[in-house]
Amino acid sequence: MHEMSLVGNMLESVDRAVRKEGGGRVEVVHCRIGALSGVSIDALGFAFDVLSRGTVAEGGRLECERVELRTICRKCGEEYAPDDVLLVCPSCGSRVEILAGREMEVDYILMEDGRGERTS
Amino acid sequence: MHQVNVGEDMREHNRRIAAENREMLRSRGIASLNIMSAPGAGKTSLLVRTLPRLRDRCRVAVVEGDLQTSRDADRVAETGVEVHQITTGEVCHLDAAMFHSALHRIDLDELDLLLVENVGNLVCPAEFDLGVDRRVMLLSVTEGDDKPRKYPLMFMQSSLLLLNKIDLLPHVDFDVERASREAREINPDIEIMGLSCRTGEGLDAWLAWLDRFIESSGGA
Repeated sequence: MHEMSLVGNMLESVDRAVRKEGGGRVEVVHCRIGALSGVSIDALGFAFDVLSRGTVAEGGRLECERVELRTICRKCGEEYAPDDVLLVCPSCGSRVEILAGREMEVDYILMEDGRGERTS
Repeated sequence: MHQVNVGEDMREHNRRIAAENREMLRSRGIASLNIMSAPGAGKTSLLVRTLPRLRDRCRVAVVEGDLQTSRDADRVAETGVEVHQITTGEVCHLDAAMFHSALHRIDLDELDLLLVENVGNLVCPAEFDLGVDRRVMLLSVTEGDDKPRKYPLMFMQSSLLLLNKIDLLPHVDFDVERASREAREINPDIEIMGLSCRTGEGLDAWLAWLDRFIESSGGA
């Protein structure tokens, strides 16, 4: 259940971003979670509900976008989107590099419009 | 509503501390290993078997991660090697900050090798870099040969895979060839060795690996 500690870090990022904006209410926290990150999106949601209480994100919604695994073989230049975690190139057998799939990122937040800037 | 871009990694805090830990160890030429496995795979038995033979070769200390008890640390302490316990409580893995505070309790100037026994778990420890040189994974043959595909991250990040309890191979349906092949499909560079902490088979090869590792890390 390492989702608890990850959400702790997520909320710190959100708090910093809100402070930079001069405060306000957070409606959505949008995250990108890689298929190979080992993170359970359900557990992340549960941890968010518990840990966001009393923070700027309280009452906000967590949105998680799953990022599929994408790899590239540096030898033959081929790109793959393997269903299973295969980190060898199916054509030449050398090690592939992971392009996407390991993300655990707080991408953006949506804030209620307060004083000042209105960007959307 | 308006959008505020954040673009921050949830592991950033851990990464920063891991980098500090790495610097603390490297600047002193200390070789370090993070030993990971499922509960009951034999991490503590491996240490108990290895430490008495390591003590003549180099100055070694152990960091023990455990959820609740100090049982593992007590078993390791019986070998006479210095052991530092981290009780994680509810947390299912060691993280860089916990390891960092343990490092402050150790006399690093008197050390060549630091072995970390992580909390028994095949998922969470893989995500948290501690700042050690290499990761070693233990998979016991009683756990089943399907584990590499099920827990790929763990296998992806380990330099060495030790297949433990090979004395039980005649009694279990563990296909060494299949487990090795599937581990290499995830990590083509992984080294694989079989051993039995009970009979001592394979321990010489593991100790030879450790010798090479210590030498390459600029230790003793």
